[in-house]
Amino acid sequence: MSRLNFRYIGFFIVSLILQIYIVKYVEIASWKPDLLLIAIVMFAIQYGQTAGSTAGFFLGMASDLISGGLLGLSALAKSITGFTAGGVAKFFQERIQFVLTLLISGLLHDLIYIFINTLGKGILWRVIFFVHIVPNLFYTALVGLAINFLIGKWLKGHE
Amino acid sequence: MNLRPYLGIFNRSILLLFVYIFISALFMNFSDTQSLRGIRWALLQTVERVEELKQFFTIRRNLATENDLLRKENFDLNIENQKLREMLVSENKRLKKLLNLKEAGKHSYIAARVIATSAERGYRSIILDVGKVDGVGEQMAVVNADGLVGKVVIAQDDQSIVQVLMDYNANVSARLQNNRENGMIGWSGNSWLDLEYIPKNIPVAKGEVVVTSGLSDIFPPGLKIGYVLAISEEEHLLFKRIRVKPAVNFNAIEEVFVIPDYTPEKADRE
Repeated sequence: MSRLNFRYIGFFIVSLILQIYIVKYVEIASWKPDLLLIAIVMFAIQYGQTAGSTAGFFLGMASDLISGGLLGLSALAKSITGFTAGGVAKFFQERIQFVLTLLISGLLHDLIYIFINTLGKGILWRVIFFVHIVPNLFYTALVGLAINFLIGKWLKGHE
Repeated sequence: MNLRPYLGIFNRSILLLFVYIFISALFMNFSDTQSLRGIRWALLQTVERVEELKQFFTIRRNLATENDLLRKENFDLNIENQKLREMLVSENKRLKKLLNLKEAGKHSYIAARVIATSAERGYRSIILDVGKVDGVGEQMAVVNADGLVGKVVIAQDDQSIVQVLMDYNANVSARLQNNRENGMIGWSGNSWLDLEYIPKNIPVAKGEVVVTSGLSDIFPPGLKIGYVLAISEEEHLLFKRIRVKPAVNFNAIEEVFVIPDYTPEKADRE
């Protein structure tokens, strides 16, 4: 395994730890950034669909195991997200690639996650979309841009 | 017949994705098996240890005992206050007084610390550092000094998972404190809760307190849920649309209390 992959493994572990212990302190009106999603998208953009879905599956499973939610749900949503991110990234120019890929795959992630989590419940999708999904996505995108700016090059190996 | 061009779409990436989807679906289907629960709780133990370590470094631990006692006392007083206010507007109050029954402190509480919250967006649960050995069981109400937090959905030996009110799947039978009208409260993804099934002809005031109705095997009556934030009516609907501001700040729950001994029969007697 290359040195770069070890950097990403470290990044995944740190993201998971921060998501569990720190993100709750920056939660605003039930909106919080999804650091795992950011990590998966960055990884998928660099290494493609297979790597993206694999990272998504294992990070999602780790998240499921310690979150108390339905086991496998996050793994499912995040593996599809990683796969999608790896696929759509190549359609965008490098300057806007990260943020657009993050928004598209994040939207897909939330739709899958909430759809399965609320199966059989009459929820108002319009409300969920505008009050929950969109603010969360933009919050995640802002944090993602900051992370990408700070360590994106280091993760890619351009020190 | 050459099937190769048709099978071409199933490249390695897609096949791998299907494998992951299949495994995820299997886990979703069998997530409640004993062995998987064991693995999850082992991981939660690790989460708890780290949380404890964090508390040690922030010196909170040194003050925890004293703090717990004060919070417990504060909690008891708050609950007593809530119950007294609830009973003041209740006909039951007068009847109970006549019967000279004790009402304050009718439940015992198990103090618990929140060791983790759900890492996922859209799913709201908290994990407590108490479990079956402490007397916690599934379907027990969880409260804090501000009001109702939720209910225990999974109880293990030394930890338990609580589904909080601000979860898509949480529904609680609720009552308007002043006019005693019953409805159902739930969350649909907003920063407020929705109180449903209150008829249009029932007068509801902004700021009115919403409490648990007691029409449930889980939640004792009179626990504060929140305050009426806004009321609206639509011509084609039979019921009002009522937004309720939760009494509990779900983003900052640190200590809670589990009510282990509630049964509707007991509430009736009391």
